[in-house]
Amino acid sequence: MNMRITLLPAALLAVGSLHAAEDLAELSLEDLVKADVTSVARKSQSLADVPAAAFVITAEDIRRSGAQTLPDVLRMAPGVEVAQIDNGRYAVTVRGFNGRFANKLQVLVDGRSLYQPMFAGVMWEIDPIPLEDIERIEIIRGPGAVMWGVNAVNGLINIISRRTRGRAGGAVNVTAGTQGNGNVHARIGGASDADSSWRLSAQGRHLEPSQLHGQSKDGKDRYSSGVVNFRFDRDLGAGSDFSVWASAARSRITELWNFSPTFSPTGGVALLPLTPKQTMSDETLVGRYRWLTAAGIESSIQALIGHASLEIGNFAKEEHVVFDVDYQGRRAVGEHDLTWGLSHRSTRDDIDTHEPYVAIAGENRTARQTGVFLHDDWTLLPERVKLGIGGRLDKATANGTQVSVNATLLWTPSRADSAWLKLARAPRISARGERDISIFTGMSLLPVPSPVPGVPGMNIPVIGYIADNRDLGAEKAKGFELGYRKQFAANLGADVNVYRQRYTDLRGATQVRMYGCHPMFAGFGIAYDPAACTYFGLPAAVPVLFSQNRTVNNLAGTTRGAELAVDWLVRPGWRLQLSYAWSKLDMDDESDPVARAAASAAERSSPRHYGSLRSQWNIDANRQFDVWLRGADGLERVDQINLDPASGGATNFSRVPGYVTLDLRHAHRVGKDLELALVGRNLIARNRVEYISDFIPTAVTEIAPSWAVTARWKF
Amino acid sequence: MYSPRFPRLAVWAVLAGLTLAMPASFGQATTEAQLKAAYLVNFLKYVEWPAQHPVFTICLLGRDSLGASLASYEGRQVGGRELRVRRVGSPEQLADCHELFISDTEEARFGALLRWVENQPILTISDAEVFTRDGGAIALIRSEGRLQFDVNAAALARAGLKPSSQMMRLARQVIGGSR
Repeated sequence: MNMRITLLPAALLAVGSLHAAEDLAELSLEDLVKADVTSVARKSQSLADVPAAAFVITAEDIRRSGAQTLPDVLRMAPGVEVAQIDNGRYAVTVRGFNGRFANKLQVLVDGRSLYQPMFAGVMWEIDPIPLEDIERIEIIRGPGAVMWGVNAVNGLINIISRRTRGRAGGAVNVTAGTQGNGNVHARIGGASDADSSWRLSAQGRHLEPSQLHGQSKDGKDRYSSGVVNFRFDRDLGAGSDFSVWASAARSRITELWNFSPTFSPTGGVALLPLTPKQTMSDETLVGRYRWLTAAGIESSIQALIGHASLEIGNFAKEEHVVFDVDYQGRRAVGEHDLTWGLSHRSTRDDIDTHEPYVAIAGENRTARQTGVFLHDDWTLLPERVKLGIGGRLDKATANGTQVSVNATLLWTPSRADSAWLKLARAPRISARGERDISIFTGMSLLPVPSPVPGVPGMNIPVIGYIADNRDLGAEKAKGFELGYRKQFAANLGADVNVYRQRYTDLRGATQVRMYGCHPMFAGFGIAYDPAACTYFGLPAAVPVLFSQNRTVNNLAGTTRGAELAVDWLVRPGWRLQLSYAWSKLDMDDESDPVARAAASAAERSSPRHYGSLRSQWNIDANRQFDVWLRGADGLERVDQINLDPASGGATNFSRVPGYVTLDLRHAHRVGKDLELALVGRNLIARNRVEYISDFIPTAVTEIAPSWAVTARWKF
Repeated sequence: MYSPRFPRLAVWAVLAGLTLAMPASFGQATTEAQLKAAYLVNFLKYVEWPAQHPVFTICLLGRDSLGASLASYEGRQVGGRELRVRRVGSPEQLADCHELFISDTEEARFGALLRWVENQPILTISDAEVFTRDGGAIALIRSEGRLQFDVNAAALARAGLKPSSQMMRLARQVIGGSR
């Protein structure tokens, strides 16, 4: 595999030759003004001087993808792993360790983190911003903790909203499609005077339930969400300005859990379905002031206040208020371009859980985190060699002081190519939920032969339960990356990189004890703990075993990978974009059986390949036809509920097969301001499964082919 | 369930096909970056700098979106003067720049960056539409299928630069003074 990956860029090199713009040089200004630009636009795409594996998704890419959710848009970037769980839930990560609660990725919208403090990840069920209001998305793979904060372990997704200046006017976008798909977005923008401008937008989305995998029943995942966004910008002159963002979002989605064990005294067990309704809300207000000092220091101070809530049926209700202040300074002097910053975040939560299903240690907690960083981009050789070096210190209530470091070397042998080397160390501070939550993790059946000959044995249910650990520490990652980027010609560029990242102190688990709910287990050397069993609602003398684990930092592993992105403007009106990522996770061997099982589960749930090929074709000035072919390798997920006694209590895996699917879009512009588009998504690899949820036993749903019609009206 | 094994071969076949198809199509498309580069070179002929210098230097700041397109002009003669292109990152590096192109990704820093060139004979250009309103001299704008430009006459005057009347006439919009 490695061999073949290195061959490709070599092949590209062999055919590439820089095309000189001889003809353009002879043009006069008058000719240039009249020249038609027919090419498929890609603004802000250039990354020649970025010493990292980076990818930019533009507003046009988003529109032409036909996608209606942020995770679906992110599928086009190499190294980003996206797996849909149901109508609203997604597992999204960069460079491995994917999961519904993936926690090694930092996602920012205009500098505000979408971090869910319970599990240090993003809940994609709620739309932080309508897709239509995004100017571009920058994705930087690899550790970026120094500049972006301690959770940017594997990467950063930086979402930049449309600016308001020079963008007066409004737009209405309406989508209707199969599976009850409805999406309405409206935006209005204006300028209150020469220096002030604003935008107000709102979006509502709806989807009817999807199909349960392998059954003719629906997955109860009816989805509705809404978001209102406001942005105001005021130019104060002399390099200073002031901006305010306000947003409020809601989402509602039900899910089906095949989990509510009821036990019979003879050891039988039945699972009753539950359909908890999940509601989320988020309100955020952000203000930012930027100014320029006489000494030439560019400063920015941003303050945020936010409130969010998450309610899952009557199982858990979480609410938190967050305050965040962030200062950044920048000064370019001589060969140095210095950036420094100071940030403080305080989160106060209020959590209610339905014991014994879920329990939390401490219903109210305040977590504080203070960070300081310094980074320098140092031009060692003008035009040729640039060194980037930075460090960060964070002090968090839970995990003490953490150090992040980052060093990059960028070499640009010519205007058309650049190579970079990156070394970085990034910690991940443990999240509130990881430390303080106790929860069921699954169930299996243990076959026990009868001691009396002729009498049939029993299948004893073993219930997995993970208990809280207030001392859970930070995870650490150390990475190395080598990349090369080349502009072969004005219409062809490629980007290739390899990386290796070593993780230590990863969150795993270990067994604390095993106990039974029947006195007979004493005969097998297993304690009979009636008090604990009563807590779980089990009457005395039920033949059920509990395996109680606790979270600890006992895992380590290494990821290796290679990524490729090619951008080729075949003809002025036809662009092809290819991205491909290969990765492999090798977890260390563990002696602890629980850790060993967790390590194996992590390895087996990591797909090796992700690929995407997009074609954007402007048939003529008014018509566009776009094709998106994308796919992923298969993976395996642990069966949380394993009622097959044949497995003898061992971990069972379900395979999620790989897939290649196809999206199509045909758009027609009618007049100057109206565009109609027909979008077909997931047209092949029909009714596939992309992921099986972890921690929460959500029923497995299918991703079905869909069609939608979109009307976009600008005024 | 439909369950294809990830068709690794198919992906590599597509890659190989792409690679093979490339040479045939070279040089057919003119990209927006090439047009912008041509504008930068052309402006040198339509603006008069206060002091003569044997070389013209175009300086690039921010995300380097035009470097590759400008490479083919480097070392060539423009108005009898040799053309050089350079990347810059701090005010100290601007000394002999005639033009400073600021990428639109630096929009948030326009105020600060324009301070660097204050009272220097440097023609500032960006591909962000708001640039001229922020005090920059020329903004390249994609509008109605063409790449056009706006001029801030006051910014040119402050820098001590004299634009030709033809350039002012071709501009889409002139602010801070009459054409």
